[in-house]
Amino acid sequence: MELRVTERTETELSIEIGGEDHTFMNVLKGTLLEHEDIAAATYDVNPEQSGGQTEPILTIKTEPGVDPIDALEEGAGNIRDKTTAFRNAFEAAV
Amino acid sequence: MTEEYDVEFVETGDRKARFLVRGVTPAFANGLRRAMVADVPTMAIDEVRFIENSSVMFDEQLALRLGLVPLTTPPEGEFVDGDTVTLSIDVEGPGTAYSGDLVSSDSLVQPAEDNVPIIDLKDDQRLEAEADALIERGKDHAKHQGGVAVGYRHLQRVEVEGDLPEFEDERSQIVRGVIEDDGELVPTSEFDDDLSNRYPGKEVSVEDVPNAFVFHVETDGSFTVDELVTRAVESLEARATELEEAVQL
Amino acid sequence: MMVPVRCFTCGNVVAEHWEEFDERANDGDEDPEAVLDELGVERYCCRRMLVSHRDLVDVVSPYQ
Repeated sequence: MELRVTERTETELSIEIGGEDHTFMNVLKGTLLEHEDIAAATYDVNPEQSGGQTEPILTIKTEPGVDPIDALEEGAGNIRDKTTAFRNAFEAAV
Repeated sequence: MTEEYDVEFVETGDRKARFLVRGVTPAFANGLRRAMVADVPTMAIDEVRFIENSSVMFDEQLALRLGLVPLTTPPEGEFVDGDTVTLSIDVEGPGTAYSGDLVSSDSLVQPAEDNVPIIDLKDDQRLEAEADALIERGKDHAKHQGGVAVGYRHLQRVEVEGDLPEFEDERSQIVRGVIEDDGELVPTSEFDDDLSNRYPGKEVSVEDVPNAFVFHVETDGSFTVDELVTRAVESLEARATELEEAVQL
Repeated sequence: MMVPVRCFTCGNVVAEHWEEFDERANDGDEDPEAVLDELGVERYCCRRMLVSHRDLVDVVSPYQ
């Protein structure tokens, strides 16, 4: 996973996440949207329009006063909470 | 944030199972499905060195057939990307070379299926080859895809609205998957996928239960269903951890 | 030529059932539908792999 920030302001962040596809990006986007400090989150995997760009770019907008990097870190942590909860529930059912 | 998930098995088996998960978002369910299909690594033969092949098929054709034979995948951590296991096969005709004739150099990596015919050999024909198996993901080649026909459907809630009007003909109402009837889970195959068999003379309504998904998971024999699901969740988790750590820097 | 190892569509391994299917449904007089059900080949994508297969090894071998 290679990260490259393409745009950054106080409440906005665009970051390229190398080596990932819809499998992880959609889970990440979905989880970020559940975060209350995040106003908008989306990702784009557009190979042609951006001149051969194939790595997904994640864009986050946060509420005023919240650093998007921190929000992204929390979002990633929330995915971990989900996977742990799922694994526990699954193993309990087996 | 606390997550409340609930998993309940509808059908259990080593290679085939159905289970209901409550509380997951569609995004997470799909991530899990995609991870099972394309991101859980399995062993498969990738390179074959032919010592003798006098059969009616070309080396390349046989190499493809050998590659598609499912091999048991060793426990996690035993192998990393790039490790190989050598298997050899030596069969002389007349007779058929089967996947079970493959002799592995590692007891953890064995053909999961012994009865797959590789090639029919006539008199004086012989197949002798050495093959390297390696561990990769379904993304790279379908032969590394451990999950077969992995999918999910919404759990559907069926409610009886009342009796059918007196002179109305009974019409079949086809539903597939698993329905929830008063909290009881019923696979639709039990009533031939037709609600009019289960509720004759009744008017029923069907609706999707939000965030409740019934997964159908089958494996090609590389590992059990439990293992496939657990490894898929772990692969998502590993990526989340990686992102979290990368962002902290 | 030889039976495909896996189903083209779903990736399920079907070749292991070929010999029994061939013996019972093609050479024997059993109903192919019943044989496939019994073998546990469920989906129609996997079923067509066996139903539509014809072994050609014997046909080609004289020309080797």
